Amino acid sequence: MQKLSLFTKCLIIFVVLWLFLRFFIGGVWSVPLPVSVISMYLGLILLAILVHVSVEDDRFREFLRPIKETLADDNRRTRCTVLFVLIPLVMLGLTFSEMSTKADPPAALRTAHPAPPDELTYREKVIGPTQQVENPFRHLEKDDKEAFKAHVENGRRVYYQNCFYCHGDDLDGEGHFAHGFNPPPANFQDPGIIPNFQESFFFWRISKGGPGLPPAATPWDSAMPVWEDHLTEEEIWDVILFLSEYTGYRPRTFGEAAH
Amino acid sequence: MKNQSYNTMLISVAGLILLLAVFPITVLAQGKQAPAASEEGKALYDDKCAHCHGIEGAGDGSAAENLLPRPRDFTRGLYKIRSTESAQLPTDQDLFDIISNGMPGSSMPAWSELLSEDQRWQLVAHIKTFYDGFEGASPRLIDVSGKVPYSEESVAQGKEFYTNLGCVDCHGVVGRGDGTSAPDLTDEWGFRTWPANLWEQWNYRGGSTTEDIFKRFIGGIAGSPMPSFISSFRLGLTDEESARMNELELKMDNDGLSEAEEEEYAELEEKLFMFEDIMLKVEEGEELEPDEQTKLDTALKPIFEKSWHLANYVKSLGPEERPQAAVGDKVLRSQYRAGALPGMNDEAWNEIEETSYFPLVGQIVIDPRQFNPSIDSVMAKSFYNDNEIAFRFTWDDRTKTLPQTDDETGETVEDALAIQFPVKISEGPTDPKPYFIYGDRNRPVYLWSWKVAEPTTVTEMTAKGINTATVQSDQSPIQAEGVYKDGQYQLWIKRSLTTDDKRNDVQFTPGVFIPIAFSAWDGSNGEVKTKRAISTWYTFVLDPVPSNKRFVYPPLIALISVGLLFGLRNSVRRRQNT
Repeated sequence: MQKLSLFTKCLIIFVVLWLFLRFFIGGVWSVPLPVSVISMYLGLILLAILVHVSVEDDRFREFLRPIKETLADDNRRTRCTVLFVLIPLVMLGLTFSEMSTKADPPAALRTAHPAPPDELTYREKVIGPTQQVENPFRHLEKDDKEAFKAHVENGRRVYYQNCFYCHGDDLDGEGHFAHGFNPPPANFQDPGIIPNFQESFFFWRISKGGPGLPPAATPWDSAMPVWEDHLTEEEIWDVILFLSEYTGYRPRTFGEAAH
Repeated sequence: MKNQSYNTMLISVAGLILLLAVFPITVLAQGKQAPAASEEGKALYDDKCAHCHGIEGAGDGSAAENLLPRPRDFTRGLYKIRSTESAQLPTDQDLFDIISNGMPGSSMPAWSELLSEDQRWQLVAHIKTFYDGFEGASPRLIDVSGKVPYSEESVAQGKEFYTNLGCVDCHGVVGRGDGTSAPDLTDEWGFRTWPANLWEQWNYRGGSTTEDIFKRFIGGIAGSPMPSFISSFRLGLTDEESARMNELELKMDNDGLSEAEEEEYAELEEKLFMFEDIMLKVEEGEELEPDEQTKLDTALKPIFEKSWHLANYVKSLGPEERPQAAVGDKVLRSQYRAGALPGMNDEAWNEIEETSYFPLVGQIVIDPRQFNPSIDSVMAKSFYNDNEIAFRFTWDDRTKTLPQTDDETGETVEDALAIQFPVKISEGPTDPKPYFIYGDRNRPVYLWSWKVAEPTTVTEMTAKGINTATVQSDQSPIQAEGVYKDGQYQLWIKRSLTTDDKRNDVQFTPGVFIPIAFSAWDGSNGEVKTKRAISTWYTFVLDPVPSNKRFVYPPLIALISVGLLFGLRNSVRRRQNT
């Protein structure tokens, strides 16, 4: 088998990386990668290839050889003609499609889990510093199992009368209203949700809802109601206990957060 | 020694073949059987199911009140989705499948991801304990062997049966669940129930394959007003005989029958009675005599065939999947048109192939809330020209409700739609938008309010919060036309791109993505004010006309690249020659 020329190798590397950026990351991983970012990466890749081939004179000559041959060698006339027709045509096609594409809808950029305010409140009442407030019924888990169970059961009732339309019967964020909302309702079965936040964080998100979010989290899009208008303080703490009992995930505690 | 092992092998292969041959008949017929009821099953049920279906299985859990369809009451042995004949219990496999796959269009989710197969079987066993009739029952399966393949002819025949068999009474002329009796239907328990909108296959509770649909026809949907098809036929009579009997009955009521006709009628009646005996035996679960079985099979065959045609027709109505919402590639793009914009029924609307789909859900943010909205989406197309923009919105509603007093609340309810835009369009993704339900104090929204009582009027309103919509004092000229037909509203609206009232009205600029949201009210569902269906913010754009420069620059760039290539070649050649 004929050995590949350095130029062909470089070309293959470039094309493979382009395909990877364009179709693998954007398609298979479905990370939205704007065209401008892709072209920036491709520019860097091109630069790296050029640096690589041009550090040694011999290598650079080897790299340029096929190009020179194609352009000047009379035996390669056909290949030269084909390229001379193809390259301008590709340029024509690219610029034409670039100028006719439709406007892309603005990307939705938002902070999914913004930092809570310093002070935790219920309606107007101050409960305490958000970092330090603990679920007032959490201690019952050790001290009074029956009472704890009653709070969890109350939380269950609250959940299925208020939350499950969006957050789902099995707490996976796919309730029967979920398809109508963007951002999507939180999925409590996701191991990245409950263990990463303190119970006071959940209290803040439940009590103040979408409108309580900072602007970076696009409060005008969130359908999360302001639950302090509908639920008592105890009901909110109970439903947080239920979330954790049902999924088996424990919210982060103040001690852990300090580490 | 060798021979012996050969024989052993032969026997085991034969045994295996026999086993494989018998296995599908015994196991696949009824599917797998549930294990014995257990404590684990009860514990699982109490944790995962009881909040809807109730600890005692009576469908009265704490969540039940806000759900429609209501969670199933297991104590009466009435199951909607079965592979078994009418008035039969479901198989264990049926129950297992429902738990695993959920019931689309209801709040019953699919449990196959969260619960293991064993756990789901334990639940089946526990659910069966709520109804004594399961003991020793072996329900008869619906025979699906005579499936008629999908074809244009079959669909056409099915359509004919759809009209003739009375399906239209509930499901409406074209199948949107808008039949004349639709508003008054209740289930066995007296709860409100709506006939399916047959265009929305993604909401079919028991799945949307042709077999699924066929089984619903033959088995009926127990507990709901949907009967088994078999009950709509006079079993034992041919189509002609049945028609003749109708004719004679009509005559009997009017002019009376002649002697010959009376005799004919008696004969027909005799045939019917004979068949009733067979059906009675079937219901009691008694063995049929071979000739009775033959008679039954002969009588059922044409009904089954009709049902397959009908299933093919229903299947032909709409897509299987819910359309994708109008975001990303599917975003609503208003198309530019030189000259006059198309009116309500203009052919030009067909030029836009895909309708943009905006899902709606219940408004459950502010009291009084709507947990069970009946309108589930609004669809839209749009055109614009140099001065004006036209929209055509469509949405399904099973009933046309002119202003009337709601029995429960005493409020005046009527069908209505509101289309919402921000007054000021935000600059970027983090630039604040108004709150998605009717804006907020600092960021008002601009509304087009349409009500069924005045179908050619769209009122401009401003809102600064969900309960604060006020009619603008300065109304821009807006043309509108709203029509209700076959379970669907169609609303055409036209306004100039810009208005004089720039402080309160949205201004439409080509190329700018403009947020849009919807609120819809179904009067017959008691919807008024905050009780309604809503969407969150979507965006749409007046697709800019591509610039004519695209015919100038690209050829120029091609020419330049040709020049560069030749320049490069010449310089290479020159160097090589020297």
